[in-house]
Amino acid sequence: MQYQSALNREQLTELAIHSYFGNVDKKNLDQVLDCFHDNAMITVQTAFTTHAGKEEIRRMFIDFMGAYKTIIHKDFTCTVDESNGRITACFTAELEDDDGNWTTLQNTNFWRIRGDRFQEVYIYMSGENPLV
Amino acid sequence: MAALPYEYYVDIVTKRYFHGVDHYDMEMVLDCFHDDAVLTEVTSMTVHKGRNAGIRTMFEGLFDAHSRIWHGNFVHTADIEAEAICSQFSVEVTPKGADQALRYENCNRFYLRDGKFTRVFVYMSGENLLK
Repeated sequence: MQYQSALNREQLTELAIHSYFGNVDKKNLDQVLDCFHDNAMITVQTAFTTHAGKEEIRRMFIDFMGAYKTIIHKDFTCTVDESNGRITACFTAELEDDDGNWTTLQNTNFWRIRGDRFQEVYIYMSGENPLV
Repeated sequence: MAALPYEYYVDIVTKRYFHGVDHYDMEMVLDCFHDDAVLTEVTSMTVHKGRNAGIRTMFEGLFDAHSRIWHGNFVHTADIEAEAICSQFSVEVTPKGADQALRYENCNRFYLRDGKFTRVFVYMSGENLLK
Protein backbone atom coordinates (compact mmCIF):
# COMPACT_ATOMS: atom_id res chain seq x y z
CA MET A 1 0.00 0.00 0.00
CA GLN A 2 1.26 3.49 -0.86
CA TYR A 3 0.52 6.13 1.78
CA GLN A 4 0.75 9.93 1.73
CA SER A 5 3.17 11.54 4.18
CA ALA A 6 4.49 15.09 4.36
CA LEU A 7 7.37 14.28 6.72
CA ASN A 8 10.79 15.24 5.43
CA ARG A 9 14.02 13.28 5.84
CA GLU A 10 14.82 14.68 9.28
CA GLN A 11 11.26 14.22 10.55
CA LEU A 12 11.11 10.60 9.37
CA THR A 13 14.38 9.88 11.15
CA GLU A 14 13.20 11.70 14.29
CA LEU A 15 9.98 9.64 14.37
CA ALA A 16 11.64 6.24 13.87
CA ILE A 17 14.80 6.64 15.92
CA HIS A 18 14.01 9.15 18.65
CA SER A 19 10.23 9.18 19.17
CA TYR A 20 9.92 5.41 18.68
CA PHE A 21 13.13 3.62 19.70
CA GLY A 22 14.13 6.31 22.21
CA ASN A 23 10.89 5.69 24.08
CA VAL A 24 11.00 1.89 23.67
CA ASP A 25 14.35 1.92 25.46
CA LYS A 26 12.92 4.14 28.24
CA LYS A 27 9.81 1.94 28.46
CA ASN A 28 7.58 4.95 27.84
CA LEU A 29 4.63 2.93 26.54
CA ASP A 30 2.25 5.81 25.80
CA GLN A 31 4.88 7.75 23.84
CA VAL A 32 5.72 4.61 21.87
CA LEU A 33 2.05 4.04 21.02
CA ASP A 34 1.69 7.70 19.97
CA CYS A 35 3.90 6.82 16.98
CA PHE A 36 1.22 4.45 15.60
CA HIS A 37 -2.15 4.94 13.93
CA ASP A 38 -5.05 3.16 15.67
CA ASN A 39 -5.23 0.61 12.83
CA ALA A 40 -1.47 0.22 12.43
CA MET A 41 0.16 -3.16 12.00
CA ILE A 42 3.51 -4.60 13.11
CA THR A 43 4.79 -7.73 11.40
CA VAL A 44 7.87 -9.63 12.53
CA GLN A 45 8.48 -11.01 9.06
CA THR A 46 11.20 -13.47 10.00
CA ALA A 47 8.76 -15.13 12.44
CA PHE A 48 5.49 -14.54 10.49
CA THR A 49 4.00 -12.84 13.56
CA THR A 50 1.57 -9.93 13.07
CA HIS A 51 0.06 -7.55 15.63
CA ALA A 52 -2.88 -5.64 14.12
CA GLY A 53 -4.35 -2.54 15.77
CA LYS A 54 -3.12 -0.39 18.60
CA GLU A 55 -4.52 -2.63 21.34
CA GLU A 56 -2.60 -5.66 20.08
CA ILE A 57 0.50 -3.52 19.69
CA ARG A 58 0.03 -2.21 23.26
CA ARG A 59 -0.23 -5.77 24.59
CA MET A 60 2.91 -6.79 22.69
CA PHE A 61 4.92 -3.89 24.13
CA ILE A 62 3.64 -4.47 27.68
CA ASP A 63 4.89 -8.06 27.47
CA PHE A 64 8.17 -7.04 25.79
CA MET A 65 8.94 -4.28 28.29
CA GLY A 66 8.07 -6.63 31.16
CA ALA A 67 10.29 -9.41 29.87
CA TYR A 68 13.50 -7.39 29.82
CA LYS A 69 15.14 -5.34 32.55
CA THR A 70 17.24 -3.42 30.03
CA ILE A 71 16.37 -2.62 26.41
CA ILE A 72 18.95 -0.92 24.20
CA HIS A 73 18.68 -0.11 20.49
CA LYS A 74 21.80 1.48 19.00
CA ASP A 75 24.17 1.85 16.03
CA PHE A 76 21.46 2.83 13.57
CA THR A 77 22.06 3.06 9.84
CA CYS A 78 19.05 4.72 8.21
CA THR A 79 17.83 4.58 4.62
CA VAL A 80 15.21 7.27 3.99
CA ASP A 81 12.76 7.42 1.07
CA GLU A 82 11.21 10.82 1.71
CA SER A 83 9.09 10.92 -1.45
CA ASN A 84 7.34 7.69 -0.46
CA GLY A 85 7.08 8.14 3.33
CA ARG A 86 9.32 5.18 4.08
CA ILE A 87 12.34 4.71 6.32
CA THR A 88 14.44 1.64 7.01
CA ALA A 89 17.02 1.21 9.77
CA CYS A 90 19.42 -1.53 10.67
CA PHE A 91 20.57 -1.57 14.27
CA THR A 92 21.82 -3.59 17.20
CA ALA A 93 19.31 -4.58 19.88
CA GLU A 94 20.66 -5.57 23.31
CA LEU A 95 18.17 -7.09 25.76
CA GLU A 96 18.84 -8.04 29.38
CA ASP A 97 16.38 -10.28 31.21
CA ASP A 98 15.76 -10.36 34.98
CA ASP A 99 18.43 -13.04 35.44
CA GLY A 100 21.09 -10.86 33.83
CA ASN A 101 21.21 -12.82 30.57
CA TRP A 102 21.86 -10.68 27.50
CA THR A 103 20.46 -11.25 24.01
CA THR A 104 22.01 -9.37 21.08
CA LEU A 105 20.22 -9.08 17.73
CA GLN A 106 21.14 -7.45 14.42
CA ASN A 107 17.77 -6.35 13.08
CA THR A 108 16.28 -4.29 10.28
CA ASN A 109 12.99 -2.37 10.53
CA PHE A 110 10.92 -1.01 7.65
CA TRP A 111 8.42 1.73 8.51
CA ARG A 112 5.67 2.96 6.18
CA ILE A 113 4.30 6.30 7.34
CA ARG A 114 0.79 7.65 6.68
CA GLY A 115 0.53 11.34 7.59
CA ASP A 116 2.85 11.67 10.55
CA ARG A 117 2.60 8.21 12.15
CA PHE A 118 3.37 4.56 11.45
CA GLN A 119 0.81 2.66 9.39
CA GLU A 120 2.88 -0.47 8.79
CA VAL A 121 6.07 -1.70 10.47
CA TYR A 122 8.03 -4.75 9.31
CA ILE A 123 10.81 -6.25 11.43
CA TYR A 124 13.46 -8.67 10.24
CA MET A 125 15.44 -10.28 13.06
CA SER A 126 18.74 -12.08 13.16
CA GLY A 127 17.55 -14.37 15.96
CA GLU A 128 14.55 -15.61 17.91
CA ASN A 129 11.58 -13.23 18.00
CA PRO A 130 11.09 -11.53 21.42
CA LEU A 131 8.02 -9.57 20.19
CA VAL A 132 5.43 -12.30 20.78
CA MET B 1 30.30 10.75 -10.14
CA ALA B 2 27.01 12.65 -10.26
CA ALA B 3 24.23 11.44 -7.99
CA LEU B 4 22.31 8.61 -9.60
CA PRO B 5 18.54 9.10 -10.00
CA TYR B 6 15.98 7.35 -7.83
CA GLU B 7 14.99 4.94 -10.58
CA TYR B 8 18.59 3.73 -10.95
CA TYR B 9 18.38 2.13 -7.51
CA VAL B 10 15.06 0.43 -8.21
CA ASP B 11 16.22 -0.74 -11.64
CA ILE B 12 19.53 -2.26 -10.53
CA VAL B 13 17.68 -4.27 -7.88
CA THR B 14 14.72 -5.43 -9.97
CA LYS B 15 15.70 -5.25 -13.67
CA ARG B 16 19.33 -6.31 -13.33
CA TYR B 17 20.05 -8.15 -10.07
CA PHE B 18 16.88 -10.13 -9.38
CA HIS B 19 16.07 -10.45 -13.09
CA GLY B 20 19.50 -12.04 -13.50
CA VAL B 21 18.96 -14.33 -10.51
CA ASP B 22 15.53 -15.46 -11.74
CA HIS B 23 16.94 -16.19 -15.20
CA TYR B 24 20.12 -17.92 -13.99
CA ASP B 25 22.20 -15.23 -15.71
CA MET B 26 25.39 -15.32 -13.62
CA GLU B 27 27.18 -12.52 -15.50
CA MET B 28 24.20 -10.16 -15.22
CA VAL B 29 24.05 -10.85 -11.48
CA LEU B 30 27.79 -10.46 -10.83
CA ASP B 31 27.94 -7.26 -12.92
CA CYS B 32 25.88 -5.56 -10.19
CA PHE B 33 28.72 -6.05 -7.64
CA HIS B 34 32.11 -4.44 -7.10
CA ASP B 35 35.09 -6.81 -7.08
CA ASP B 36 35.46 -6.48 -3.31
CA ALA B 37 31.76 -6.69 -2.48
CA VAL B 38 30.52 -8.63 0.53
CA LEU B 39 27.12 -10.32 0.81
CA THR B 40 25.97 -11.27 4.32
CA GLU B 41 22.98 -13.47 5.13
CA VAL B 42 22.16 -11.94 8.51
CA THR B 43 19.68 -14.48 9.86
CA SER B 44 22.40 -17.14 9.80
CA MET B 45 25.44 -14.79 9.76
CA THR B 46 26.80 -16.38 6.59
CA VAL B 47 29.32 -14.10 4.85
CA HIS B 48 30.29 -14.34 1.14
CA LYS B 49 33.29 -12.19 0.18
CA GLY B 50 34.36 -11.11 -3.30
CA ARG B 51 32.35 -10.90 -6.55
CA ASN B 52 34.38 -13.60 -8.29
CA ALA B 53 35.00 -15.69 -5.20
CA GLY B 54 32.46 -16.14 -2.42
CA ILE B 55 29.53 -14.44 -4.15
CA ARG B 56 29.97 -16.37 -7.42
CA THR B 57 30.28 -19.63 -5.49
CA MET B 58 27.12 -18.84 -3.53
CA PHE B 59 25.10 -18.23 -6.70
CA GLU B 60 26.51 -21.37 -8.35
CA GLY B 61 25.12 -23.30 -5.40
CA LEU B 62 21.74 -21.54 -5.54
CA PHE B 63 21.35 -22.06 -9.29
CA ASP B 64 22.46 -25.68 -9.10
CA ALA B 65 20.01 -26.55 -6.31
CA HIS B 66 16.79 -25.09 -7.77
CA SER B 67 14.78 -25.61 -10.95
CA ARG B 68 12.83 -22.36 -10.51
CA ILE B 69 13.63 -19.07 -8.75
CA TRP B 70 11.24 -16.10 -8.62
CA HIS B 71 11.43 -12.76 -6.78
CA GLY B 72 8.51 -10.31 -6.76
CA ASN B 73 6.07 -8.16 -4.77
CA PHE B 74 8.78 -5.58 -4.17
CA VAL B 75 8.48 -2.56 -1.87
CA HIS B 76 11.56 -0.35 -1.85
CA THR B 77 13.05 2.27 0.45
CA ALA B 78 15.47 4.04 -1.90
CA ASP B 79 17.84 6.75 -0.66
CA ILE B 80 19.84 8.68 -3.26
CA GLU B 81 21.71 10.65 -0.60
CA ALA B 82 22.90 7.52 1.21
CA GLU B 83 23.45 5.53 -2.05
CA ALA B 84 21.34 2.74 -0.61
CA ILE B 85 18.16 0.84 -1.27
CA CYS B 86 16.36 -1.55 1.07
CA SER B 87 13.84 -3.89 -0.53
CA GLN B 88 11.12 -6.17 0.83
CA PHE B 89 9.94 -8.95 -1.48
CA SER B 90 8.56 -12.45 -1.84
CA VAL B 91 10.65 -15.37 -3.06
CA GLU B 92 9.53 -18.67 -4.52
CA VAL B 93 12.06 -21.41 -5.21
CA THR B 94 11.55 -24.98 -6.30
CA PRO B 95 14.33 -27.37 -5.26
CA LYS B 96 15.40 -29.74 -8.03
CA GLY B 97 13.40 -32.94 -7.80
CA ALA B 98 10.64 -31.32 -5.74
CA ASP B 99 7.04 -30.75 -6.88
CA GLN B 100 6.24 -27.73 -4.77
CA ALA B 101 7.80 -24.30 -4.43
CA LEU B 102 9.06 -22.92 -1.13
CA ARG B 103 7.85 -19.41 -0.27
CA TYR B 104 9.84 -16.79 1.66
CA GLU B 105 9.20 -13.17 2.66
CA ASN B 106 12.66 -11.59 2.67
CA CYS B 107 14.39 -8.25 2.67
CA ASN B 108 17.73 -7.08 1.33
CA ARG B 109 19.72 -3.98 2.17
CA PHE B 110 21.92 -2.85 -0.73
CA TYR B 111 24.67 -0.25 -0.24
CA LEU B 112 26.19 1.11 -3.46
CA ARG B 113 29.34 2.93 -4.52
CA ASP B 114 29.56 4.40 -8.02
CA GLY B 115 26.44 2.55 -9.09
CA LYS B 116 27.35 -0.98 -7.99
CA PHE B 117 26.77 -3.02 -4.85
CA THR B 118 29.54 -2.86 -2.28
CA ARG B 119 27.66 -4.41 0.68
CA VAL B 120 24.48 -6.49 0.59
CA PHE B 121 22.65 -7.81 3.67
CA VAL B 122 19.97 -10.48 3.33
CA TYR B 123 17.30 -11.44 5.88
CA MET B 124 15.36 -14.64 5.18
CA SER B 125 12.06 -15.69 6.71
CA GLY B 126 13.03 -19.37 6.66
CA GLU B 127 16.04 -21.61 6.30
CA ASN B 128 19.04 -19.94 4.65
CA LEU B 129 19.19 -20.73 0.92
CA LEU B 130 22.35 -18.72 0.35
CA LYS B 131 24.91 -21.10 1.75
